[in-house]
Amino acid sequence: MTTPEAQERFQALVDGHKKIVYKVCHSYCRNPDDRDDLAQEILTQLWRSFASFDPRYRFSTWMYRIALNVAISFYRRERVIERHVAPSGGQLLQVIDDQAGEPEEIERLYRFIEALDPLNKALVLLYLDGNSYQEIAEVLGISETNVGTKINRLKKAMKEELT
Amino acid sequence: MIDLDEMREKWAEHDRKLDTSIRLNRQILKTLQVNKARWALRRMAVILILGAIATLAVIVPLGAFIYANISEPRFALPAAALDLIAIAILAAQIAQAAIALEIDYSRPVAAIQKRLETLRIVRIRYIQGIFLAAALVWTPLLIVSFKGFFGLDAYSLFPGAWLAGNALFGLAVIPLIIWLFSKFGSDRVMDNLAGYNLKAARGFLATLSEFEDEQA
Repeated sequence: MTTPEAQERFQALVDGHKKIVYKVCHSYCRNPDDRDDLAQEILTQLWRSFASFDPRYRFSTWMYRIALNVAISFYRRERVIERHVAPSGGQLLQVIDDQAGEPEEIERLYRFIEALDPLNKALVLLYLDGNSYQEIAEVLGISETNVGTKINRLKKAMKEELT
Repeated sequence: MIDLDEMREKWAEHDRKLDTSIRLNRQILKTLQVNKARWALRRMAVILILGAIATLAVIVPLGAFIYANISEPRFALPAAALDLIAIAILAAQIAQAAIALEIDYSRPVAAIQKRLETLRIVRIRYIQGIFLAAALVWTPLLIVSFKGFFGLDAYSLFPGAWLAGNALFGLAVIPLIIWLFSKFGSDRVMDNLAGYNLKAARGFLATLSEFEDEQA
């Protein structure tokens, strides 16, 4: 599925969900250059998998799965997935309004997420993004009960960390 | 006091702000879309499949050699040993290619990460196996290739003690190789050979299992 229509449709869908890529990259990479590399890895993988996307399912769930799988692999210095994107010479996700920067609380939250292991990073990110336990379970492939247990544990850890 | 639920509201504000503060560079996205760059996992699978074809090209003539020399165990047995090693290599190549081709990033995170980690471990074991086999094959390879390519009998060309010494040396080297793997298994050298760190791969696999199984 590489028709111009498919490309356009993909671009429109990704544009509508670009925040997912931004937040995943910010949670898994401290370095801005790495973030951009990761964003390119994610977008490349999304495009490669787009042919198998079933429109009956939510695009965001599908996108989360791919973005998180790529990010975890990238984070762990995955070498199976070598970098296969040549430097583009530009930023894929451009911040066009950075006057105020991120509020302090959001910065602290990103730092808290950054300190977590790659699987719990994914969990917190999905929770903060307003996903239900069922949706989180679908993306991560664990049970809803398990999601609840982990969220409660992370809430406790966060209270200790950020108070 | 800050908690995760309060932060969820702040995060929602942050999320709304991102709608206007970030822009997707469609030109770069377009470049990525038309980029015919390699897909590493598929590329790896293709390399492994080509390797498997090459291994088959060794297995088949070895089979023919064994058949031709079935009445002479001194030739047939070393060839059978080589054939068994080649079959094991072929099986490992097919297993890796199958795992690599099955990886679909749109499947749940825990399942895919487990597959990737399994692939890492299989790959490390494969590299280690190649090293161990290399220590063993030298003498049978000499015997079989002399006979197969030149029709020469290595047993009469080289003293029996020399051949036996080489075979024994190969066996003796195995514990040394195993020791080296255990000693430097997580070292950069081994990581570069296999591409990964076995200890780290096992550790992450254990973390994944724990992450998946934990209920309360």
